[in-house]
Amino acid sequence: MEQEEEIVEVIARYSEKEKYAVFDKEFMPHIDSMYNFAFRLTNDEDDANDLVQDTYLKAFRFINSFERGTNAKAWLFRILKNSFINDYRKKSKEPSKVDYQDVETTYNSTEDAEMDATTDLRTETVQDMIGDEVANALNSLPVDFRTVIILCDIEGFTYEEMAKILDIPIGTVRSRLHRARNLLKEKLKTYALSMGYKTNELESQEEV
Amino acid sequence: MKQKCENQQKCMKMIQAVLDGSASAEEVEHFKLNMDACMPCIETYKLEKSVKEAMQGKVEKKCCPQSIIIDIRAKIGLAILFLGFIFIELKLNNYL
Repeated sequence: MEQEEEIVEVIARYSEKEKYAVFDKEFMPHIDSMYNFAFRLTNDEDDANDLVQDTYLKAFRFINSFERGTNAKAWLFRILKNSFINDYRKKSKEPSKVDYQDVETTYNSTEDAEMDATTDLRTETVQDMIGDEVANALNSLPVDFRTVIILCDIEGFTYEEMAKILDIPIGTVRSRLHRARNLLKEKLKTYALSMGYKTNELESQEEV
Repeated sequence: MKQKCENQQKCMKMIQAVLDGSASAEEVEHFKLNMDACMPCIETYKLEKSVKEAMQGKVEKKCCPQSIIIDIRAKIGLAILFLGFIFIELKLNNYL
């Protein structure tokens, strides 16, 4: 298992009693954020339940590799993300769960040839949208892009923390976020047009 | 005021980093000095801010069901109990 290789216990840092204390004080306060992350990744309550349980059981099993007082939330998110990737890779054989067109479009765009900025999405339109509409746009993103937006905007991690959670350089975090947000704005714009919200594009059509 | 930005993608990345609180000191300084002089950058800032705020404030935050918390605690307790049994059994085998 990739995760188990990553968090090998080196020394027995805690007694049995201390393990429970660390688990309760450092890990359990993050369970709602963990569940929310799992749900946003899987878009399925049962999968999110399994993922959170699996993550917390692994965290307890490898608790000696966690140093008390360090960033428990980032440590737990890293375990959850790795568990999701391992599970997701198995499930990715199901074509209905992946929008391959999106993946192809976004991954084929390189650093030098980034997608055009979406300038015709209006600030007011985004402000007028309701939660479900915004969540639908987020859920429709490819998982790697969804992940960076959740970590940054919903969970408030810094780029440095995200780099550690995702095991990628900070420069890649920045680029991936940039591309994710461009795609998100495209999704929001498409959704806004379909729902009859005003966009700059719609306005210019009306003027003609 | 500039009506066209020659570095729109680069500026957008910098504006995002500023909004995310992860920009370098030089980027923050550059942002403060140049932001008000470029209309596309001002528009970009407003839009990026509204998208970020929509993600933070409008997407429902799901809470973990209590049953999952109970399950996790039970499994951890059981795991310890199980390891305890194995330990006792090994000790007994050695003793016998």
